[in-house]
Amino acid sequence: MALPEAPGSNPEGEYPIVQLDSLRMWFPLGGSLFRKSVPVKAVDDVSLAIYRGETLSVVGESGSGKTTLGRTVLRLLEPTGGRLLYDGMDITHAWESDLKWLRRKAGFIPQDPYSSVNSTFPIYRVLEEPLAVQRIGLRDERTERISKALENVKLIPSEFFAQKFPHQLSGGQRQRVAVARAMILEPEFIVADEPVSMLDASVRISILRLLRQLQEKFRISFLYITHDLATARHFSSRIGIMYAGRVAELGPVGSVLGQPLHPYTQALMEAVPDPDPENRLRDRPALPGEPPSLTSPPSGCRFHPRCPIAKMGLCDVVEPELRELRPDHFVACHLAA
Amino acid sequence: MAVLDVSNLRYYYRTRRGAVKAVDDVSFSIDAGTTLALVGESGCGKTSTATALLRLLPRNVDTYEGQILLDGEDVKQFSNEEFRKKVRWRGISMVFQGAMNALSPTTRCGVQIAEPLMVHYESSSEEAFASAKEELKKVGLPEYVADRYPHELSGGMKQRVVIAMALVMKPRLVILDEPTSALDVMTQANIINLLKQLQKETGLAYLFITHDLGLASELANDVAIMYAGRIVEIGRASNVYSSPGHPYTQKLIQSVPRLRSEEAPEFIPGAPPDLTSVPLGCRFHPRCAFAFEPCGWSSSEIGAILSREAPGLEIEEVYLANVLKYEATDPWKLVLWPSKGVAVSDLASSLRELVESRRSSVPFLRGIEKIEERDSRVLVKIHPGQMPELMGEADLRAACWLLQEGGKATATK
Repeated sequence: MALPEAPGSNPEGEYPIVQLDSLRMWFPLGGSLFRKSVPVKAVDDVSLAIYRGETLSVVGESGSGKTTLGRTVLRLLEPTGGRLLYDGMDITHAWESDLKWLRRKAGFIPQDPYSSVNSTFPIYRVLEEPLAVQRIGLRDERTERISKALENVKLIPSEFFAQKFPHQLSGGQRQRVAVARAMILEPEFIVADEPVSMLDASVRISILRLLRQLQEKFRISFLYITHDLATARHFSSRIGIMYAGRVAELGPVGSVLGQPLHPYTQALMEAVPDPDPENRLRDRPALPGEPPSLTSPPSGCRFHPRCPIAKMGLCDVVEPELRELRPDHFVACHLAA
Repeated sequence: MAVLDVSNLRYYYRTRRGAVKAVDDVSFSIDAGTTLALVGESGCGKTSTATALLRLLPRNVDTYEGQILLDGEDVKQFSNEEFRKKVRWRGISMVFQGAMNALSPTTRCGVQIAEPLMVHYESSSEEAFASAKEELKKVGLPEYVADRYPHELSGGMKQRVVIAMALVMKPRLVILDEPTSALDVMTQANIINLLKQLQKETGLAYLFITHDLGLASELANDVAIMYAGRIVEIGRASNVYSSPGHPYTQKLIQSVPRLRSEEAPEFIPGAPPDLTSVPLGCRFHPRCAFAFEPCGWSSSEIGAILSREAPGLEIEEVYLANVLKYEATDPWKLVLWPSKGVAVSDLASSLRELVESRRSSVPFLRGIEKIEERDSRVLVKIHPGQMPELMGEADLRAACWLLQEGGKATATK
């Protein structure tokens, strides 16, 4: 089967682990017997690929569709259009009952370590659950896998932590449990949806470091969904900027954040302060307005109403396609050069 | 003159596990038209400091003492009724963390902003509503927002409404507790710009509580770093950022991932202590790479690490095999019993060896002063530690023994 072209480099000449081809996830809104529903275009024609052993960050404001993208990639949602390939296999419309293998191969790290684990379960039961669902191992083997998973996330001694309940752990330790849970089935691909946004700055770094170490050790691919450009810069190899359900810019981190091509990326970067006491003396450049509604996104380029360089007659009419302006660096903007 | 001058503020509350020393001997002052950023990890007492300033105390308060001068007047002495009338919202107001999600969903925004005017000044509802609209304009919202319900507004607009609520009584000082933590970067930048502009126009003072040093630098004239209920470093923002004196501040600055630099962020191993039982001496010493003799290593800490009872710290693991049990009744004296069949002299010499070989890289070993063999056990004498006070010039003071004369030299010895 011939694979569609998706933007992104292919370093080792192998299949990308995940490939999205004009993927669409629209939700119906309203609608009744007599009224047609309006689609919420949460993810609209997104094409990208994630390669083995790499981390792709998807960065965007809330409501840009990044979380929906993550859930769709894991087939927790069935796409309403386009194609989704996992390891070269089309799983766009596969039955849930045929996806048990995917649940083993692809893991998920949620945002909130406080609400994502059953608070009445001790940690070993939290970690045992995926094994039980997948019917893996007997008691001894499971115990061994659980203690190994805890050691992998540096919750040592593992016997000590396995007996604890979630409320007895700190936020960082709890997020380590979430990582261990995602890792327990030895997946090759993990979607991490804002895994550190609820943690303290220093704990954030320790969790991201841990993910990096696990990636190197087990060659896991990550889709890192975040609104934080700075951590994306330090913990990913490629980065995709999403705006209103579409990819605005995609490429290697150094290129995208070193010389951003899309005016939205540029504005997003300018809005993020680095620690510098001089910041007090000037206003922070920030775009006015808010991201558009996903039921009726603006015509043409969805960013044009907030864009400082938009050209009327072009940007509000024609929807820009992703163009490769620099090696592996794609941008969806008519005016970028 | 300082709008707010706080000295020796203490605020503990009782729990079943003992008193939580949320705010422990905290002093600072804020001048009119300036901002003090209060920075630290969660659970270090930042928000408790704010609630203590506003006297929003829970029923289980244990200790509440110190001096709070607002425009030179000691408001700490006020009766509760007087405090409510004169200080709360009129002198000091607050934007609470997540307040935008605590707006009443069934009341129009204008009414929510106007409410304090009706209570404090007994203004008529029309007057108060008109002032609410005024206030909305000041925070950059159109007047019609006054007639809207919170669910009709975006996050950024709701946050502006909450700021308008804090400003409506024309206070001297506004406490901002993580005012932008739930917002997108773009909205965050807009709110920060609004806060800057309001300060410029009205000479407001801010106490800005955040854990984000990048964000703190947007507003701060001065920065106070808080750790485990105490201010460990305080000074002009330019000094704190460029030449921090306390290892905690240094680590905190290094932990910020920077967008415009290749420098990889570092993390601080471990977690802040439980505020019911804080470490002796400097409270940061268990996580500090530079901790040395006077920092306050205690027998229970050293005993727990040596016998491998203190899990979860991501620092280099060092422990002693062959410890049967330890006794740590005296903080500066640790008693170790060897396991069965192990000679006391062997245990003592393996500990001596450990201290000698790893002292330079493992801080807690520096706390060991003397190792003696006594009958069937090993006595370990520990350097008595003390809590450091803030030292240095007014522009930058830090509470760390390294800053004492010769401290650095001894620590790296």
